[in-house]
Amino acid sequence: MNSTVTAPLLLEGHWTSESAGEGHVVFNAEGIHCGNCARAIHRALDELPGVIRADVNVVNSRVSVTWDPAKASLGTILGKVASTGFRPVPLVGESAVAAQRNERRDAQKRIGLAGLASMQLMMYAGGLYAGAFDGIDPHWAEILRITCLIIATPVLFYSGAPILAGAIADLRRRVLGMDITVSLALVLAYAASVLNTFRGSGEVYFDSVAMFIFFLLLGRYAEMRGRHQASNVTDALAQALPAEVQRIDPATGAALRTPLAAVRLGDQLRVGSGQVIPVDGRVLAGTALVDESLLTGESAPHRRAVGDLVLGGSINAGGTLNMTVTRAADQSTLHGLVRLLERAQAERPRLGLAAERMASWFIVRVLILTALVGLIWYFIDPSRAFPAVLAVLVATCPCALSIATPVAIAAATSRLSRLGILVMRSDAIEGLATLDTVMLDKTGTLTIGQPTVTRIQTSGELSNEQALAIAAALEAHSQHPIAAAFRPYRTPTVTCTDARDIPGVGIEGSIDGVIWRIGQPGITLSDECGRLARFEVADELRPDAPATVQALRDLGLQVQLASGDSLAAVERTARALGIAQAAAALKPEDKLARLRAEQAFGRRVLMLGDGINDGPVLAAADISMAMGRGSSIAHAAGDLLLLRDSLGSLPKGIAVARDALRIVRQNLRWSAAYNMAAIPIAAVGLMPPWVAALGMSLSSLAVVLNAQRLLRNTREAH
Amino acid sequence: MESIYLLIPLSIVLVGVAIWAFFWAVNRGQFDNLEDSAGLALEEDDATSAASESPPRRS
Repeated sequence: MNSTVTAPLLLEGHWTSESAGEGHVVFNAEGIHCGNCARAIHRALDELPGVIRADVNVVNSRVSVTWDPAKASLGTILGKVASTGFRPVPLVGESAVAAQRNERRDAQKRIGLAGLASMQLMMYAGGLYAGAFDGIDPHWAEILRITCLIIATPVLFYSGAPILAGAIADLRRRVLGMDITVSLALVLAYAASVLNTFRGSGEVYFDSVAMFIFFLLLGRYAEMRGRHQASNVTDALAQALPAEVQRIDPATGAALRTPLAAVRLGDQLRVGSGQVIPVDGRVLAGTALVDESLLTGESAPHRRAVGDLVLGGSINAGGTLNMTVTRAADQSTLHGLVRLLERAQAERPRLGLAAERMASWFIVRVLILTALVGLIWYFIDPSRAFPAVLAVLVATCPCALSIATPVAIAAATSRLSRLGILVMRSDAIEGLATLDTVMLDKTGTLTIGQPTVTRIQTSGELSNEQALAIAAALEAHSQHPIAAAFRPYRTPTVTCTDARDIPGVGIEGSIDGVIWRIGQPGITLSDECGRLARFEVADELRPDAPATVQALRDLGLQVQLASGDSLAAVERTARALGIAQAAAALKPEDKLARLRAEQAFGRRVLMLGDGINDGPVLAAADISMAMGRGSSIAHAAGDLLLLRDSLGSLPKGIAVARDALRIVRQNLRWSAAYNMAAIPIAAVGLMPPWVAALGMSLSSLAVVLNAQRLLRNTREAH
Repeated sequence: MESIYLLIPLSIVLVGVAIWAFFWAVNRGQFDNLEDSAGLALEEDDATSAASESPPRRS
């Protein structure tokens, strides 16, 4: 670890990190809304010398770039992205929040204008329609048409601007996107209406244009909300850190305001009540309730006293702390988590890719079909050719199809994060939904992973409390893992100052003038006068382990236990949980062999482990979940990360993933069915353009709302 | 019928006013958080009971 904190390089608000001679940055590219946009950025970055790897995620418009600092700079990379027509926006910090807020407000304004104008246009259209039947003075009809033109124009050029801009960008990049067919429909309808207005005869479609834009924007707004929600976890993490901290001047003891970037390892910081703990550190003075919910999802605050570790990003909920910095800001738990998540979110999900490919395949055929329909109608009845062409263009817009998967995945990701499960790999949700076997590690997974005192036996002169307090005072000086079992029993009145660690025997030290010794045989506390106490220490089961195992079984999953622990310990756990298939004393390679054997049977296995010792097994599993609590997060490997110190989220998460997959399938089926059904009706001229607009928009909206069901809490009631 | 000469421009002006009012509200952040506000009345003030899973927060 560095002795000085290297502040993450900030260039216009972009956080980058460097490791092994490679620079790494993740940012949002504003304006990505389809696979083609993503491909364009990808292609542009690949051309750039010095870029090692570039990933573009269409779901949350995130771009991740790894580059060689010797050949390229962040500035050239961002410039290249900007030149393709997408604005790179920093992922974290003030500007990211502002960017999201502006994007949301812009969208709201566009929708509002389109909606209000649509209502008004429908009234004028009603007048024109009634006039067409009952007879209307051409002079009045002309006035109504011109009024429609006045109101529809800002709808197309303000509200519809993102759609038109998207189409122009697609054309410039020579790719076929959804925006092209939509814009073609909009511009054709608008141009024809303007022409007819000034000619004083023929149909006008101003109301259809405005309504189509309104519903299109509504669908996109819902999709944007989903994207923002999915990225909120990372952003909440990254925005958690304050810009300034109170550093204690070692000479005077006064706390001075210092920028976070200037904090060095070993510095002493003061964190007041309600403030955010800026970096990982150890408590020097004071006790406080610390809320770690941001890092672990656990809502109950923990009491942290002198000597305890506190994590950067947690909130001091009460009390004042002095702490020493034990980890640099760029190596802190929080930073590690943000980086892991950013990389994970920059990956493209396989499910989404399939839908994108389908969409662009679809568009080519739509354009051919539209041309054919126009041509055929031209020979049958030229006056009906134009409305039919418009209807086909609008009805076939594959909007619903292309957002069917991304919205469901985004909603599921957001839902899982609220359960304390972070999705590290985008295919993980699909994997989580389709697994059939769960292989569990024991220590630290099913058990707390922390030894606790389970039994005390004293020789009579000592009370249990006294014995525990003395043992705790001595064990405070021990590095042995067992010592952690005594930590809760430390009291300020019983302390030991001269404790010595006698290797292989235990700890010896004097308390109130009496020499005490704790250690072998077993865990025995003894003094010179022969007073004795014996402790039994064991690793307890997590309180929710039995319920979790039962819940997993209820989901139809086979539960197995694979542990490196002794046979007796594993058998005891397996019996307590009712797990029939348990294997003990497994080395990592044995676990791997067991996993492979299961997979050879065609089973899809989820491995749940602590993420550090189980690395190879986790990597080989079909889907892996790591218990990535606290400071081990940064090293944890796994498709999913369980941030909470409880297992109960796992079965709930599997249920959410299954719902998500079901909804993706429903969405794809529904949107494909809609397009298939709408095209023939539009082609034979039975569908006026405004009905096509309504149908297309409603099908997109249905897909989005269907995915939003995932965000509800219905499954958590039990 | 001549009243239409007045009413139609008036309707355009009214739409304009409605749009201006809506834009003003958006810029003032009235629509920034549509989800949490709905549940505001139901939320308990006691922070400890607000387990992160229980209320459907979508901020």
